[in-house]
Amino acid sequence: MREALGADPPGLLERLRAGEPRAFEELVTAYQHRVFGVALRMLGSRAEAEEIAQEVFLRAYRALADFRGDARLGTWLYGIASRLCLNRLASPDRRVARGDAALADVPAATPDAAAAAERAELDAALRAAIAGLPEDRRLVLVLRDVEGLSYEEIAEALALDPGTVRSRLHRARLQLKEKLERFA
Amino acid sequence: MTCTETRDLFSALADDALTPAERAALDAHLAGCADCRRELAGLLRTVKLVRAIDPARAPAGFVDRVLAAARPEPAPKRLARRLLAPWQTLPLGAAALFLIAGLAVLLFLGSHEQQQAARYQPTTPGPAAQAPTAAPRETGSSATTATRESTPAAPPARSRKLETAKNRVEQPAPAEPRAETTAPRTMAERQVAAPPAAPEGRRTKVDSSERAQAPAGERFSSTAEDARADATTDAAKEGKLRQEPPAFQSPPPFGASRVAPSVADKSQTMPQVAPLSRTRPMTGVPTAAPDVSAHLRVPDVTLAELSLIELAARVGGRQTGRRIDGGRVVVELAVPRDAYAQFVREATALGSLSIERQATERPVLAVTVTVSN
Repeated sequence: MREALGADPPGLLERLRAGEPRAFEELVTAYQHRVFGVALRMLGSRAEAEEIAQEVFLRAYRALADFRGDARLGTWLYGIASRLCLNRLASPDRRVARGDAALADVPAATPDAAAAAERAELDAALRAAIAGLPEDRRLVLVLRDVEGLSYEEIAEALALDPGTVRSRLHRARLQLKEKLERFA
Repeated sequence: MTCTETRDLFSALADDALTPAERAALDAHLAGCADCRRELAGLLRTVKLVRAIDPARAPAGFVDRVLAAARPEPAPKRLARRLLAPWQTLPLGAAALFLIAGLAVLLFLGSHEQQQAARYQPTTPGPAAQAPTAAPRETGSSATTATRESTPAAPPARSRKLETAKNRVEQPAPAEPRAETTAPRTMAERQVAAPPAAPEGRRTKVDSSERAQAPAGERFSSTAEDARADATTDAAKEGKLRQEPPAFQSPPPFGASRVAPSVADKSQTMPQVAPLSRTRPMTGVPTAAPDVSAHLRVPDVTLAELSLIELAARVGGRQTGRRIDGGRVVVELAVPRDAYAQFVREATALGSLSIERQATERPVLAVTVTVSN
């Protein structure tokens, strides 16, 4: 799981609003992995994830003037990324079976060979299980257990009630647990 | 508390998100229910598995590609570029006139004898003398050239930001030849007999559709422009697209460096030619075959051309050149390989796209698109 989101880099929002060119570069540098990460876990393809991640920053760039600052930059970007991913997943030409590609690069960081094989099998099952979750649940699961956001941050990013976040997350995890029963 | 109610709290327990009351009730139930303890263990294992997934990292070069696509260009500079656009995309006929006038200046400056002679010869402006100023006006009236975005020389977003001030100085560079030619106009006319009739004959007819069949005088600078485009393509080939030297930013006077040496041989007075010899060398640049060549059939060629350029920029690439081939517009682009699929997908939406050649080995692809009705 990624480390906690934490506060915005100090002064960054002000410099972005002032139109300082260097500030936008800092924003992209600071959040590129997070934005790319959520897109990759949701879409499964690195190329598509990069395309979406790039679009996230371009939209952010154009919308900076209107950004009220009542959310943190991090959750704001996660929010844009989430919406774009859901839109992409809902687009008619995207409705193809790409699910298995989700989480394609789940690591197998186990030193010995037997354990590695077992881990590889588990990874494949985990990948399939996550890819098989309904998109709204998968999104909450990815934001919480892969990207490390808190309930409140997820609620802020997705404009949801924290209770909804909690129940979606619960259902996603239960569903995963059932699918991964034999590994438990 | 029932088993169902208890299990509904498991997920929040894994996140340490239970209220003290919920936690107390949960613990009380678990103490006496082995099934729920087993369920809880299973769920916590699942959560642990998911959290063991490594966070993804964006691919190398991602930041640069975003910055290039965002192209944060300040409004005054954008306006300046628009205003200067006709100068940067001069019809070749006008370029030829500049070239000739520029050569004339060289000869004029270089020949002491002729300078002496000029002092005693009152100059009378002839018809061709107005050519250099007349031609740009035609440029402005040509819809195709006036609206065309001239991006070949556009610097990458990051360096451009840093060099904004510098650009402001460099942008008007193409206007220099005109300034140089105004004074010795008639001498220029008289001395440049070599490319005959080009100023007079072409001046009234120059338009974009005719450039394909350009006469000798124009072909000269057409070659030079192609060389410029090729050089840019070469830069793309080496993956150095984003590290172009600032010298690229201001288009050199058309064809100047190609022609200057031959003049030097004749007049033997080249040491004083600083203004023209400043441009980078263009000779000897081999013509590289594009990685991808495609043909796009569309109802509106101009619109499609602009859309292609915009698309290339959006996917992290850029326009590297433009030419007319057999009356058809050929747009030359550099497209990052990673974004090539997206480029093709979106280009297909512009019209009927057929790909004639496609090699995707290199990280940045030289893409040539012929656009026609």
